[in-house]
Amino acid sequence: MTTTFVLQIIVTGLVTGSIYMLIALGVTLLFGIMRVVNFVHGEMCMLSAFTVYYVSVSWGMPFLVGVLAAIVFSSVVAVLCQKLLFKPLNYDILTCFILGIGASFAIRSATWAIVGPEPVAIPATFPGVFVWHGVFVAKQRVFAAALCGSLAVALTAFLHYTKPGRAMRAVEQDREAALLMGINPESVYVTVFVISAILAAIGGAMLGTLFGADPEMGADPLLKSFIIVQIGGMGSVLGTIIAGLAIGLSDSITGTVFGGELAFIFDFAILMIFLIVRPRGLFGYDV
Amino acid sequence: MADETGAAVPATRSRALRRRSFLAATGVAASFPLIRRTAQAAENQIILGCSIPLSGPAAPTGITTQRTIDHALEQINAKGIMIGGAKYTIVAQYYDNKYIPAEAVTVVEKMLSDGVRYLFSSGSGNSVPVVEKTTAMKCIQLSGASGKDHLTNPKFPFSFRVQPCNETAYAVYPWMKTTYPDVKRIANIGPSDEAGFTETADRRMLAAKYGYTSGANEFFKRGAMDFYPVATRLAQDKPDLIDFGGTIGRDQGLAVKALRELGYKGKILLGYSDAKSFVEIAGPDAAEGTIMFDTLSEPQNDAEKQLHDWWIAKHGPPMPSFAYLMWDWPFILAQAIQEAGTTDTVKVADALRKTEYHGLFGLERFGMKEVYGLDSSLTRDIPMSVIKGGKPVPLDVVAWPAGV
Repeated sequence: MTTTFVLQIIVTGLVTGSIYMLIALGVTLLFGIMRVVNFVHGEMCMLSAFTVYYVSVSWGMPFLVGVLAAIVFSSVVAVLCQKLLFKPLNYDILTCFILGIGASFAIRSATWAIVGPEPVAIPATFPGVFVWHGVFVAKQRVFAAALCGSLAVALTAFLHYTKPGRAMRAVEQDREAALLMGINPESVYVTVFVISAILAAIGGAMLGTLFGADPEMGADPLLKSFIIVQIGGMGSVLGTIIAGLAIGLSDSITGTVFGGELAFIFDFAILMIFLIVRPRGLFGYDV
Repeated sequence: MADETGAAVPATRSRALRRRSFLAATGVAASFPLIRRTAQAAENQIILGCSIPLSGPAAPTGITTQRTIDHALEQINAKGIMIGGAKYTIVAQYYDNKYIPAEAVTVVEKMLSDGVRYLFSSGSGNSVPVVEKTTAMKCIQLSGASGKDHLTNPKFPFSFRVQPCNETAYAVYPWMKTTYPDVKRIANIGPSDEAGFTETADRRMLAAKYGYTSGANEFFKRGAMDFYPVATRLAQDKPDLIDFGGTIGRDQGLAVKALRELGYKGKILLGYSDAKSFVEIAGPDAAEGTIMFDTLSEPQNDAEKQLHDWWIAKHGPPMPSFAYLMWDWPFILAQAIQEAGTTDTVKVADALRKTEYHGLFGLERFGMKEVYGLDSSLTRDIPMSVIKGGKPVPLDVVAWPAGV
């Protein structure tokens, strides 16, 4: 095994892991603050990829306009889900869980009916390949990884250094105390859903440029997100960042060294070890 | 309202319990397999049960299959199948197998218990697990699938494969030997399921037979997104050609894209493809030079043009190339029933083995007795094309090899 080969595995893993990390951050944010396991998150990635496709490919608008449209559309869907599905259920974890599965199926089936069976491609914003000491990586992947990494840092800063971010953390720590301090938890919940939707939208757009868009594309990232969030610790942003990159690396190592069909087995093996040895994950808390 | 102990339950809690029960039922119902039935048997109707993927990653092929079968049956039923002076028609019933073998077994068992004796099954992973059941019921199983002797052997006289799959290699490999003499080492990639394993097994066997060196042999989970890990392994092997075997749909485009991004410069051979969709997903640069077997680029004769024009008028562009592959077999079945003069599946199975049909690809008949022990696998010419300038260009038509 050469140094180039090892570097190729690491670069591939970190790049893929950063996209999974971004999508998983939306899941952990919703769970951490609201205790909502949102099964619709993967479908928002998928809807965003299709929005980017229709706006920037079918209608010929710039890619950035497509991403902005995806953010708006995804945010509207998220707020509708919050107001019409999760709020009437008082954010009860079990009923939201079940309803989320149903809503996810419904959105996926509706997309099948509307867009048809053919997968569609979104051209890369940065076509071409970087070659560095024999290591190959597509420029679009580097762009996606850099964007996802920057957004993860921005989210961390937002949560720690801005007033809305602190309000979100206050609601997460003690909803009643936050209410007494003049924070309206309901408006915080809307903000959380919108931020989660933005992360899904950008993650979905990046996935679309790398792998194309089809109605089933949300399922895989959602499953990875749940694994990442469980390993990182439910509700932990730092844990999600570390676990996201780790799962990306794990996929790359197992896929490259042992073969592609084994990657998911290793992911679940890691998850099972965590559930047995450290059920609250890296930085989470007991649920 | 009272609970299990007889104690009164507050109205709000009762409502909440009812609501939860309803939601749970809704969620469970939503996860059940989607079963689509379109018709019930009537007099002089032959029910053709179709176990095809209408949702999930393989749905593009399933939906294309459904649309093509429907149109073929329109034409067949317009004339009807005359048996003893009575006019028979074929009615298709579609069941969604989601390309999940367990779902396929469930829907086929349901069909068999409903009395279906003519079955079309898509995908070898879905077809192999049901072939013993259909054989026991003397149900004619027509599979659009690889699966080689797991589907076509003397133990299964009612099982036919209506699309050349792994068998295409019997025609393509000798052609490749003369067309691309610079190719010496061949690697393989395929999905980690029945289709991938059987396709790869035949292709590596034939590669060895024709003097090629076999390189890496990689499998991936069907519907995977990131092909960099498996493409890294393939590119490291430095083969002259990578045979994609049973890889279909979006997986083809993503794998080719990953291979080219990782610096692979050699040749790529793939088939069962929708060329336009493949080029879109892989990107024109990555797709350039890809050799495609059994993939019609553009209509090459009047019959193909008629099908193409109908598709564009009915469903809009683009027409998936896969529709061409699914067009002829309903006509072959109808001709065999007509020639048998009965719907008795024993006699129709015998007639199918003798039927010669002139379809989109020229003369088509069930053959390969020399390989499988009986004539149950469709044989015909194999069209070849190559991607040039982002578009598929016809390359050659490979005649079916003699003695196979």
